[in-house]
Amino acid sequence: MTTDGTIALLNLQAQIDGLEADDMIESRVCRIELITLRGLLLGRIADYERAGEIAEQLVRDADTDGRCFIARARTRATFHRFTDALDDLDRAERLSVDVETANRERAPILQALGRYDEALAILEEAEDRRENFENVAALFGLYAERGKIDVAERLYLESRFRYRGVSPFPVALLDFQLGFMWMNEDRLDYARTAFDAARRRVPAYAPAQGHLAEVEAELGEIESAIARLRALATSSDDPDYAAQLARILGDAGRDDESRHWRRLAAARYDALVTSHPEAFADHAAEFWLAAGADPEKALRLARMNVEVRKTPRAYALLAHAGWRVRRIPGDLTCRKI
Amino acid sequence: MSDHISGPRAIADPVTDITDVYAFPSPESPRHLVLILNVFPYAGPSALFSDAVTYRLRVRSASIAPDKRAFAVGAEEFTFDCTFDVPAQGLQQGRCTMPNGEAVPFRVNDENGGKAEGLHVFAGQRSDPFFLDGPMAGKTIATRQLAFKPVGSDRLYGKNVLGIVLRIEWATLLKGGPMFAVVGETLTSGKRPTRLERVGRPEIKNISLGAKIFDQVNRDLEIRDMYNNEDAFRLSEDYVGAYRARLNANLAFYDGLDGKTDWPLDAHGNHPLTELLLADHLIVDASKPFDEMSYFEIERAVLEGRTHATCGGRWLNEDVVDSILTLYVNAGKGPRIRDGVDGPITWSSKTFPYMAPPNQPQAAS
Repeated sequence: MTTDGTIALLNLQAQIDGLEADDMIESRVCRIELITLRGLLLGRIADYERAGEIAEQLVRDADTDGRCFIARARTRATFHRFTDALDDLDRAERLSVDVETANRERAPILQALGRYDEALAILEEAEDRRENFENVAALFGLYAERGKIDVAERLYLESRFRYRGVSPFPVALLDFQLGFMWMNEDRLDYARTAFDAARRRVPAYAPAQGHLAEVEAELGEIESAIARLRALATSSDDPDYAAQLARILGDAGRDDESRHWRRLAAARYDALVTSHPEAFADHAAEFWLAAGADPEKALRLARMNVEVRKTPRAYALLAHAGWRVRRIPGDLTCRKI
Repeated sequence: MSDHISGPRAIADPVTDITDVYAFPSPESPRHLVLILNVFPYAGPSALFSDAVTYRLRVRSASIAPDKRAFAVGAEEFTFDCTFDVPAQGLQQGRCTMPNGEAVPFRVNDENGGKAEGLHVFAGQRSDPFFLDGPMAGKTIATRQLAFKPVGSDRLYGKNVLGIVLRIEWATLLKGGPMFAVVGETLTSGKRPTRLERVGRPEIKNISLGAKIFDQVNRDLEIRDMYNNEDAFRLSEDYVGAYRARLNANLAFYDGLDGKTDWPLDAHGNHPLTELLLADHLIVDASKPFDEMSYFEIERAVLEGRTHATCGGRWLNEDVVDSILTLYVNAGKGPRIRDGVDGPITWSSKTFPYMAPPNQPQAAS
């Protein structure tokens, strides 16, 4: 049993507020983590930006403290500034942060960059040292992303077994990753079950709601999907929800409504690609390939995305965009997105 | 900090993180014993109790052991379990289940609390009564010298916690006594509850067990989550050696801070306080009148072979960090060791629910 998701979110807010006036480095590091978590759960890019600002200030205030560079690395990784994030981790190690702590942050960045073998080596070493929830769950995330279903499923169950806390967030995040894995495998019923489990644990968990809506739309449950996405598109500053909503409304022939959300998404993506190009190039490319209906723009962004991270998913997006503008041979589209 | 942020698990979820436990005879009525369990360090205004946690106070009758070096704790236990609902219309309801099975309902943050025969219960957000100069406590360990300043800095100043206050008519609800051992716990709810945290005495996990560098047995072990898992009244044989080694090492370090040895180790390298502290529960004598400065007085009386003079236990306003530092560093034979922080933002009151109302966010900043 975990704490009710509404209570947990209020308590997350209470933690952030409680640390507001505390200038100690560890408190500021903690606030960065908490604000980032809130951003992740509620789909609030403004939170990521706020966490990034605090981290930059922290490094300016205490540039000989390795913990500050670890914190900044996290915020930079959130915005897909992976090279900068890895530089911060190297710097933190030189300032005597232990290699285990630095590697804990390094592994997800390497994973995001598609350097799976390096990430796997770190995660396996950590799991060998301590078979706790965090380490097993991180391994699960890597195998899930790589589509190694059998291993991922086993690790998912093992991490659930090892969870000892009552916070709903770690379990909801785990269920979300499971849903994402099944979605990529086109196992939509499984994906729906997993996303719904995450949503039930934390009702305000925006990415879980958003992906659940996406799956519902694929399964023909259009009205439910539209209702979910409309609420998200209104409450979140992440344009992904407006983009999905525009696409589904367009597919349903509700063109006037679709145009409204398409306009909102387009303007927001343009702004975000300007301020955080590394983080939003891929999502914006997907939008311009779908509801945005501008494959040329999508191709430019997909190229930018491949420069940032050379993952199978990034190459597949580039191939898809290239195929749409007929500049890249169509046989590359068989790569899985 | 007292028991704030006392291990990885507590850090991960503050709603289970016990900050302090208090036990004292009611200042208003000698028939009543007051037990307090605080959780959620640095609680912001929206903080609520978890609906997935049982907040438990455990009480057992205690007496001075025949060898007069420790306490004999009775086998019969009296538990007070507080559980909470998901809030509805912005209000959270809770209930306290007494040892006789009767559940007493109350509304969170209602100062009138809930009442039943022998019990008055309050739960809600209050000002954190604990105070210390935490950074200088850390610096003392890092530099191996007393680092406290005449005027210290308290990171908890103006902060809030979630508090649970029980005023119990001890002769009605408890058996045995008048001396009792008291422990606070957080546990997972459900059919197979798992202990998340436990606290008896202040500053056991942080000041006394936290530092690893003096421990020659487990130099790199974060011992506190293991320690939290343990039943305070029955430590597992498997790990007690690790706790003992850590306490012996750290207590010897503190003893040496004034350049002399007030607590000579025995032939096995054990510090004279180690066994007392391993029995990590408050000891309170409900038959004695309320006292503001009585923490560890009963234990000291046992060590000194005399009859205790006070109620012991722990009162909210006591400068317990100074008391502990003085005990550890000079055994009370030298000047009082001060951390330079002598009080919280608001003193607790001598009337129910005792703890001061929560600080406004502006005051916190």
